[in-house]
Amino acid sequence: MDFDLNDDQKAVLEAIEGLLSQHAGPARAVELAAAGDYDGALDAALEAGGFAEIAREVGPLEAVLVIEAVARQGGLSATAARLLAAPAVCDGPVHGPIAIMRAGHAGPVRYAAHAKTLLVLESAGVTRVELKAGECRPVASNFGFPMGRVPQGCSGRGEVLARGSDIRLRDAWRLGLAAETLGCMDAALAQTVEYLKERRQFGRTLGSFQAVQHRLAECAIQVEASRWLTREAAFASGAASGSEAIATAAAFTLNAAGDVFAETHQLSGAIGFTREHDLHVWSMRLHALRQELGGVGGHRRAVVEARWGSGGR
Amino acid sequence: MEFDWSEDEAHHREEIRAFLAEELPADWEAISQHGPGGDAQAAFSRHFCARMAARGWLTQHWPAEHGGQDASPWRHAVVGEEMWAIGEPRGAQYMNVNWIGPALMRFGTEAQKAEHLPRISAGDVLWCQGFSEPEAGSDLAALRTEALQVGDEYVINGSKIWTSYCNHADFIILLVRTDPWSRRQRGISVLLVPMDTPGIEIREIPSVVGERYFHEVFFTDVRVPTTTRLGPENEGWEVVGHALQFERVGAARYARAAVTLDRLAEIARERGLLEDPMVVDRLGEARALCEAARVLTYKVIDLRAKGSPPTADTQLARVLGTRADTAVGVLALEIIGPEALESGSFADANFRLAMTAGVAVGASEVQLNLIASRFLGLPRE
Repeated sequence: MDFDLNDDQKAVLEAIEGLLSQHAGPARAVELAAAGDYDGALDAALEAGGFAEIAREVGPLEAVLVIEAVARQGGLSATAARLLAAPAVCDGPVHGPIAIMRAGHAGPVRYAAHAKTLLVLESAGVTRVELKAGECRPVASNFGFPMGRVPQGCSGRGEVLARGSDIRLRDAWRLGLAAETLGCMDAALAQTVEYLKERRQFGRTLGSFQAVQHRLAECAIQVEASRWLTREAAFASGAASGSEAIATAAAFTLNAAGDVFAETHQLSGAIGFTREHDLHVWSMRLHALRQELGGVGGHRRAVVEARWGSGGR
Repeated sequence: MEFDWSEDEAHHREEIRAFLAEELPADWEAISQHGPGGDAQAAFSRHFCARMAARGWLTQHWPAEHGGQDASPWRHAVVGEEMWAIGEPRGAQYMNVNWIGPALMRFGTEAQKAEHLPRISAGDVLWCQGFSEPEAGSDLAALRTEALQVGDEYVINGSKIWTSYCNHADFIILLVRTDPWSRRQRGISVLLVPMDTPGIEIREIPSVVGERYFHEVFFTDVRVPTTTRLGPENEGWEVVGHALQFERVGAARYARAAVTLDRLAEIARERGLLEDPMVVDRLGEARALCEAARVLTYKVIDLRAKGSPPTADTQLARVLGTRADTAVGVLALEIIGPEALESGSFADANFRLAMTAGVAVGASEVQLNLIASRFLGLPRE
């Protein structure tokens, strides 16, 4: 066991943070969101920086570090799908951006309007669909991501991927969700803590009230536990215990996201609802992330199925 | 970063499990139903710890010069997990090996080390801790029990409360005020007092947690030599603070909660409850909580293994450990149903131990205060 980053991991983190300081950040996220845009330039920078193949070339734990960092900087890029999901089920190059959905999914799909590749998780297997430009109608959303509606039946023309790909895709998707959620929670909490250290009311900083401190401390516990469960799950992915560890990390992290959303908004007060304050860049996404793969209930069911062999569907 | 057990650690876990299977009697569940402080368990712990000591496992994480083997904190963590998971057959002696011994090594005189460490290492001595008082609970620095120096003795007057294990203990590690004019953290010292010293009286405080769980200990003109003082006079707050910092994660409550949860899932399956989405949701939630508490505890052990100074990670782990324990305790009542109401039943015994989690060894609210100031850097009023 070793909770410290090794030299390679430090180098990865330093490199991605350097890249993101130029290509991401909350101001850029706000600008892109206003136009309903996707950050193709960030994708290109990640490709050029050699991050796209990091899961295959270095490992899933390092990929998770990158996904966390992109989310912390409000990156509007389907990084998790590119770094974890695609290499888990596709050999050879995949055209990004990549969207992922479950077969029979109704409702908007993250990144679908901009995606060139759609991975559809079937009850057994995965279908890979090359999307045509304009095929998925953009859907306006307040939840921080560009969304699109996938036309029914488009998976009919897709390529059916190898046996077992559904399990690999489900794990990779789930791990990516946990990592992205973690990055968003991390930034939302940091922003809130900094704000409450500065904001004065009743003649003192709000962050000095014990009623406020305890709630922030509870959030910190949730975020730290999410961080280490997610990183540990990334380390275990591919091993026999991988699916259970990933489901456990997602069950905890996506549940924490609900609490962190509620607390950061409540404690930030009215300014937290405005577009001029950055909290929304991360907070609103939390609820979008909680919609995928059956949400918290789906992740918990996966924990029970993996550990006790029943209860899943 | 890597999150694997070493081969040695994994092997040690197997060794410990085999040892437990061999050493625990058939009626272990009945013995352990009142927790580490119960009469039967306290008596059993002397036999059991001696057997562990014979294998060199009781204090293996101690330095060789003090009867240990310089084993890594990870090996000792494996022991802690396996012991708590099965109901802590070491009884109260887990405190001896976790922090009372290490505190003696750091602050004790040569004579104190020679007197106490071999006995702790051999597993035949029980200690209790005399910290809380009627007017000093969560606010420990308000303690009033007084030890006035008269010649080469201290004369102790006052009382301690909630003292678990004291009815079986040979010694009490006692926080006292040695400077009667001092306030708060200043003027406190630590004394190592034999429980058979004249003037000490024990009264059990009956509780719903279990038999002989809480006690009050009264000190009336109790005289001990000044050589029983651990560390410098009037600096006992620092002595105890240092000794406890790493141990605040304390018992591996998450390990016991996780084992209880596995058993609950089995019961749920037998009763067809794994088809109930509500039960599945609650089991998944509780399992994630146990795992979260485990991984945060490992973070603290990692710091200890590297000799890093303690951080607020200890408090993060501790709060979550209590949450996991409590959540599983309540879930057991819900899954088992009315049968849980019979005293001594599996769910009852588990619930009673779990219900103290957020209060024992320092209330969660105090931990949250520390997280706010030390981890988040929030200002004090």
